[in-house]
Amino acid sequence: MNASAPIPRPPKPLLTVTGLTKHFALKGGLFGQSRGVVRAVDDISFEVGEGETLGIVGESGCGKSTTARLLVDLISPDSGDIQLGGKLVGSELPIRELRRQVQMVFQDSYASLNPRLTMEDAISFGPMVNGMARNAAVRLAHDLLARVGLEPRRFAGRYPHELSGGQRQRVNIARALAFSPKVVVLDEAVSALDKSVEAQVLNLLTDLKAELGLTYVFISHDLNVVRYMSDRVMVMYLGQVAEVGPVDAIYGAPAHPYSRALLAAMPSMDPDRRTMEAPLAGDPPNPINPPPGCRFHTRCRFADAVCSMSDPGLYTMGTPGHLAACHLHIPASGHKAAELAA
Amino acid sequence: MSAPLVEIEDLKVRFHGARTVHAVNGVSFRLDAGETLGILGESGSGKSVTLKTLLRLLPENRTEIGGRVRVDGVDILALKGKALADHRGGTASMIFQDPMLALDPVYTIGDQIAEAVMRHEGASAAEGRARALDMLTRVRIPSPERRLNAYPHEMSGGMRQRAMIALALACRPKLLLADEPTTALDATVQIQILLLLRELQREFGMGMIFVTHDIGVATEVSDRIAVMYAGEIVETGTVRDLIRDPRHPYTKGLLAANLHGAVKGSRLQAIPGAPPALEEPPRACSFAPRCPVKVSGCDTQRPPAITPGAGRMVRCVLAEAALQPG
Repeated sequence: MNASAPIPRPPKPLLTVTGLTKHFALKGGLFGQSRGVVRAVDDISFEVGEGETLGIVGESGCGKSTTARLLVDLISPDSGDIQLGGKLVGSELPIRELRRQVQMVFQDSYASLNPRLTMEDAISFGPMVNGMARNAAVRLAHDLLARVGLEPRRFAGRYPHELSGGQRQRVNIARALAFSPKVVVLDEAVSALDKSVEAQVLNLLTDLKAELGLTYVFISHDLNVVRYMSDRVMVMYLGQVAEVGPVDAIYGAPAHPYSRALLAAMPSMDPDRRTMEAPLAGDPPNPINPPPGCRFHTRCRFADAVCSMSDPGLYTMGTPGHLAACHLHIPASGHKAAELAA
Repeated sequence: MSAPLVEIEDLKVRFHGARTVHAVNGVSFRLDAGETLGILGESGSGKSVTLKTLLRLLPENRTEIGGRVRVDGVDILALKGKALADHRGGTASMIFQDPMLALDPVYTIGDQIAEAVMRHEGASAAEGRARALDMLTRVRIPSPERRLNAYPHEMSGGMRQRAMIALALACRPKLLLADEPTTALDATVQIQILLLLRELQREFGMGMIFVTHDIGVATEVSDRIAVMYAGEIVETGTVRDLIRDPRHPYTKGLLAANLHGAVKGSRLQAIPGAPPALEEPPRACSFAPRCPVKVSGCDTQRPPAITPGAGRMVRCVLAEAALQPG
């Protein structure tokens, strides 16, 4: 295996996201009035370097899936820009082109496939709609099936219900590759699989990345999997980026109290060192009307007066490319602990 | 030694329908009072079916159950009518992955807990209500007085899980059956619920059987772990023995697949293939088709149950070979 050497600072950014925002209006009030706004993704910016894997972690409601959908333009942002390969999507790069070059694999392998299409048809459908001749598209489908480890002669004519979960997810990966995309967004793509099958699919994803020079955005709630797969990791909380940085920095020296809590909440694998205290109390708050200032301050044990008043914004930590949004680490932020450290 | 709280011998469960499924194929284990057994397995391994048998929750007309199941000295498979209803929620109680399905949406939390106490203990409505308040306090629901009158949909996911635990434990069962109760929860909430269960189990001196597919979760709550594959227990042992020194190739594969400590860039030791369909009862080792260390005979003979130490069992011929001197 070609072990990926530690990538220093992100290579040339392939995907650049600036100020991305998506709010959903809550309908269903009296006479269909809006009852409020879910601030699913609120002004986030990040880069994904060419050939790297960016892991995104966070709990339900943190906006990681909305971010994924925005990246492939399944939903349109309220504001913010996406640049792919230096070209601004919408003006310099047609949205249609973004949708070819950025593909997505979803969690539910069954819901992702049309139950009435065979695997061959499912994979060749996209290329044919985009003008490829049927023969060529079918040949492509067979090549891709072979590439993801499904023998075309056995699997091309099968329907989704005739496959296991792991096999279906391989087909979904094959379909995502049909346009030779640059970026593949994997939204909890292995989460529904059994552990023994999950490892097979992760190996496949690693191989494909090396063979085809892909770039991954890898979203998962499983911190072990994200650590294994990612070069850099972004931690999200209530629609914002809490911390982003190289995988070793995030796991070895997490700076944001939320990142620390998330890591401490992982069940222990050592029977002699079980978790004795839950790192956080209560449930993640609702992204409708998030708290002012730092959104985490309502659950943070280090919260100070300044935390409820101003949004810290991302601040560069010691390691290059390691940023955290926490007043604790910002000199002169007004946080007591930050003053003491200074 | 006192009689065990749960004693299962050669349990076989078979579902009949469009096709026959041999879901559980000869499971035996015992659980002492106050002990926690984690059952670890993937989907289709028979772990939830084994658990449901203990409350007789499987559809009677399509299920064929064989073997012996005793809880607190009572033959569970022979229970009928009122005795069965007394057992469910009285002696043994269950919590599920989805509290929305376990709680009744049209009654308040307080009413549901009070009803269970009144039914099982013949308590008055006021006593039932008082017990409900006590239980909500014990599961650490904030402002429990107010939550007594809340409906399930008015609570958050973690809070509903706590309410379901309060309901399950209201009649002080001797045995708590937990079927992946934290799987749907967020990480920071999951650990809170695990710690709560561990604490309540100790406080009430209950026996607990905790079914999960997550090794970390099993490690946090269990005294002993049983690993299930294709309807059989392939390995049991104390949580320490099992995590530190797994003997069955499937257990080893599962631990590796957890990725705890996996080195980035190194190839994962994935178990190839997929679990069997279980349309026929096993005649050989069910894991043989996927086993990386298979030897001749694995495909044709049932593996023996080897006991390499006290409280330890491994169903693998290689474990037998390892025991023989020379």
